[in-house]
Amino acid sequence: MTDAPRSRFAPWLMLAPFLAVFAVFVAWPLATSVVLSTRQTFGPGTSRGVGWGNFEQLFADPLFWRALRNTGLYTVGTVLVQLPLSMLLALALNHPRLRGRAFFRMIIFSPVLVGVVFVAMIFTVLFDKRTGLINQVLHAAIGWDLDFPWLDTYVIPSLIVATLWQYVGYNMVYFLAALQNVSPEMREAALLDGAGPWSRFRHVVIPAIRPVATFVVLLAILGSFQLFELPFILLNGTSGPDNRGLTLVMYLYQTGFQTGDLGYASAIGWALALVLGVFAVVQYSLDRRGVRR
Amino acid sequence: MRPTAGGDAMRDGGGGRAGRLGSDGRRRPAWLGFAAICAIAVVSSVMMLARREAPPAGASMWLFARLHRDIYVPAVEDWNRTREPTVRMSLLGVQAMEQRTLSSFLSGTRSAELMEVERRIAARAFAGPVESVGFLDLTDRLREEGLLEAINASSFTPWTSRGRIFGLPHDVHPVMLGYRADIVEAAGIDVSTIETWDDFVRTLRPLMYDAGGAKRTDRYLLNLWETHQDVLEMLLLQAGGGIIDERGLPMLDAPVNARVLARAVSWGHGPDRIAADAPYFSAAGNRLLLDGYVLASFVPDWMCNIWRKEIPELGGKVKLMPLPAWEKGGRRTSAWGGTMLGISRDAPNPEECWAFAKHLYLSPELSRRLYTEGDIITPVKAFWSDPVFDEPDAYFGGQARGRAYINLAPQTPPRYNSPFSALALDRLRSAATQLAAYADAHPPATPESLEPEAARLLKAMQADIMRHVRRNRFFAEDAPPDDGVQP
Amino acid sequence: MTRGSDGMDARAGRVGLLACYILVIVATVIIAVPFVWLVCASFKSNADFLLYPFLPRGEGVLGVAWDRLTLDHFRSLFREAGVGRALLNSLVLSSVTAVLATLVCAMGGYALASLEFAGRRLVSNVVMAAVVIPSPLLIAPGFQVLYRLGLLDSYAGLILPAIAPAFGVYLFRQATLSSVPRELLEAARMDACGEVRAFFRVVFPLVQPMVAAFLLMTFLATWNNFLSPQVVLQTPEKMPLAVMIAQLKNVYYQDYGLLMAGTLASILPVGALFLLLQKDFVTGLTSGAVKG
Repeated sequence: MTDAPRSRFAPWLMLAPFLAVFAVFVAWPLATSVVLSTRQTFGPGTSRGVGWGNFEQLFADPLFWRALRNTGLYTVGTVLVQLPLSMLLALALNHPRLRGRAFFRMIIFSPVLVGVVFVAMIFTVLFDKRTGLINQVLHAAIGWDLDFPWLDTYVIPSLIVATLWQYVGYNMVYFLAALQNVSPEMREAALLDGAGPWSRFRHVVIPAIRPVATFVVLLAILGSFQLFELPFILLNGTSGPDNRGLTLVMYLYQTGFQTGDLGYASAIGWALALVLGVFAVVQYSLDRRGVRR
Repeated sequence: MRPTAGGDAMRDGGGGRAGRLGSDGRRRPAWLGFAAICAIAVVSSVMMLARREAPPAGASMWLFARLHRDIYVPAVEDWNRTREPTVRMSLLGVQAMEQRTLSSFLSGTRSAELMEVERRIAARAFAGPVESVGFLDLTDRLREEGLLEAINASSFTPWTSRGRIFGLPHDVHPVMLGYRADIVEAAGIDVSTIETWDDFVRTLRPLMYDAGGAKRTDRYLLNLWETHQDVLEMLLLQAGGGIIDERGLPMLDAPVNARVLARAVSWGHGPDRIAADAPYFSAAGNRLLLDGYVLASFVPDWMCNIWRKEIPELGGKVKLMPLPAWEKGGRRTSAWGGTMLGISRDAPNPEECWAFAKHLYLSPELSRRLYTEGDIITPVKAFWSDPVFDEPDAYFGGQARGRAYINLAPQTPPRYNSPFSALALDRLRSAATQLAAYADAHPPATPESLEPEAARLLKAMQADIMRHVRRNRFFAEDAPPDDGVQP
Repeated sequence: MTRGSDGMDARAGRVGLLACYILVIVATVIIAVPFVWLVCASFKSNADFLLYPFLPRGEGVLGVAWDRLTLDHFRSLFREAGVGRALLNSLVLSSVTAVLATLVCAMGGYALASLEFAGRRLVSNVVMAAVVIPSPLLIAPGFQVLYRLGLLDSYAGLILPAIAPAFGVYLFRQATLSSVPRELLEAARMDACGEVRAFFRVVFPLVQPMVAAFLLMTFLATWNNFLSPQVVLQTPEKMPLAVMIAQLKNVYYQDYGLLMAGTLASILPVGALFLLLQKDFVTGLTSGAVKG
């Protein structure tokens, strides 16, 4: 590996591992799935072309819209509840005179260490009617209904709660990293200017966390739209009563792996990619405006 | 080649860096973290490489149930001592099994030679043309060897697609009603007089009232809820309905289904509520059974094993009775669940695998262990006379549990299976959930007032599934002609 | 650091501090409860699991029936063949994946952020587009690719697809843009070390916050991933810990105590790792000097 200064190959050398893996394990399967989405396959290597048929059917498929609605609700809930909480916690932890920061951060972050399989297993028991800890505690505290049907009727809120527990600390760490990147000089400068807390926040904190914040929001949206394992285990491999917990990826999985119709599943996947693409484009353009160099 | 590039970079980065960074005190700790993970990577990889083993030979067998694996160990060891090929069992999660089986159909990846699968997974294999089903067609072997007569007939139904049989049955899975004998007998009630569901409700209803005549809110008669899709399907089967017909096509809109569904939802949401939710397969449900929140629950043979292991405190307090019939003289049991042993279509040694499958599933010792360790009744009729089935079971108040199930076995309804099973079951639950919401909004929800709505919902669900069926030209081409299937 | 110039300010500071404490403590308690519950569940007999939310009540100290607690679940967990082996497998998979992914993504992100070359836009757009590809879309075709390459049932088949996540590249591109000053790069290049060396000497240290976080996250994600190993690997001896424990969850019934003990056993190693590296991560997170 020789590298002359300003080598023309350097960028490609740096990118080579990524591009190679990407080509083999993303681009190639992706090409296959494009072909699949215009075909109808059922199980053992039987398939025939249907052109746009899969997409036409998808458009008229009430379940697809249901899954899209559920996934959208979950995403909105996650982004609007979890991220502000993560940020608040990061700001609180960043208070210069707060003691025991490391301890608190460790505890709040620790749910991330728990795999989603186990989160689902734990919450299955916590969400139970009558005997579940959540209903019992709320019942004792505020006279909550002991029979509150978390996983029967309020599937999406249940998922938001479980995700909140698991990821609030994870996103908090990103915000913390950004906050701690605020240089002391900047802080000092703001203080010397006699800036109040609000203007300090506006002129020091916000610019510091903006790039991370946009990133975290994008990640949260991408992650939420790809929600699958948690509800899948929480609802015992079903989509919940009356499909109340059906997410887009779960629908993809069901049609692909349970009904054996990979063509239709690919079509669902592409519809999902389209939705996410819109978010990414919006975020990207915001991002470009945000990074002024 | 590419991994090496990564490796070079790592050495470059890792080794080259460590020396230089010593001088840079402020940043050292972070490198330690990176170095620690690098070190773990190197050390553990070295340990791993040091422990490399030769790839094992012989045939592999996939299973999904730990209990089955534990029961099979002696039989498999016995086989491996004397016969070829040696068989290795590996336990898989249901999801993994789904993905692997489907992938093997798709891309011709090798699946295991032997696969013990649950009926929902087996159904996935039936999606394509009958001649390309991933399991070996066992129909002729079964017929020639007289096994069709030797094994309980309804046990073959989940493994049959378009008239061909693709698996060796593992079970019969008749269903009984497990009830709190301690509470029922203390009230002086004799359940042997109960013949139909109406009798059941009438005879036991007094138990829902306390001494002062007030209705108790902590006691119901039956563990049944609109979210228990398996139980709903089982009740439909008992009444002669079901979700899949013998051709493998959905049949949600059968009139009998609407009748049963209306009754079941009315029990939970009607003016004379007798049913409540004590979820199956959950600690919460077990706890509620223990509390006497529900007096009776549905118990297929395998459920006895779960109760015994998970709710030992119920021992001696519960007994079993045949299911009450939907009408006088009707069927007193149903079927819930099912497992088969299948052989992969591309197994290089199908005859040896077939011999192994028979060695495993058709041995008298296994049928005995299946019962003593797993509470499961063998589908092989010749073994039903084994005295082990007559032993009193202390957990169930000294009843001869095995005999009770075997007496019901001939009545078990056929459980047809097809690629649309999972979809149909899901839509059945949707219909039940929506019907429950309708019942809550339109009191009083009597069976009579719910039935038209039940019929309407089931028809709509049927129409929805038929859209999927019509898409599947492959399946339809093999199916007998039917107006609903032709695109 | 904050200097209250007058009483008002100081009081506001105190109120603010109190609010911070309340918020943090409430969050900590809520987050800790499921863990406490989990620990209790793994030491309770299955009979007690149903009866008491936390520890069984009884005559002992603190009103707890200590004698009813049991180590049986852990015993049966370690009697399970190959827990040690599974642990080693998990360590190999997670650490190798994390290290390689971090290097690959950091290099890629750096190239996209601060090198000029023809095709940069194109690659950037490809990365952006790849971020939105739902991974389940690739399950079936990806399996086929692994099969064609003969990588099924090998660790390469699990590790390789996981070492180039597009979002990782994107992440490091962001990190490089926001924390590596141009001047510094120019200076490094002037020092007559090439791009690659400049990357390792200048950029890598500066994007440490991301390196640390990304390393840990990738490690965790691999550690807890149970779906792909089950699909890609076929030999039971190769299975990682998460798969082993997920398989304890039977289709039909669950030995709760055993499951919870298994969950605990899978959390402890990564928990220990995080505790050990926590300081480094924090130092890393706070050391990236940004000239705003």
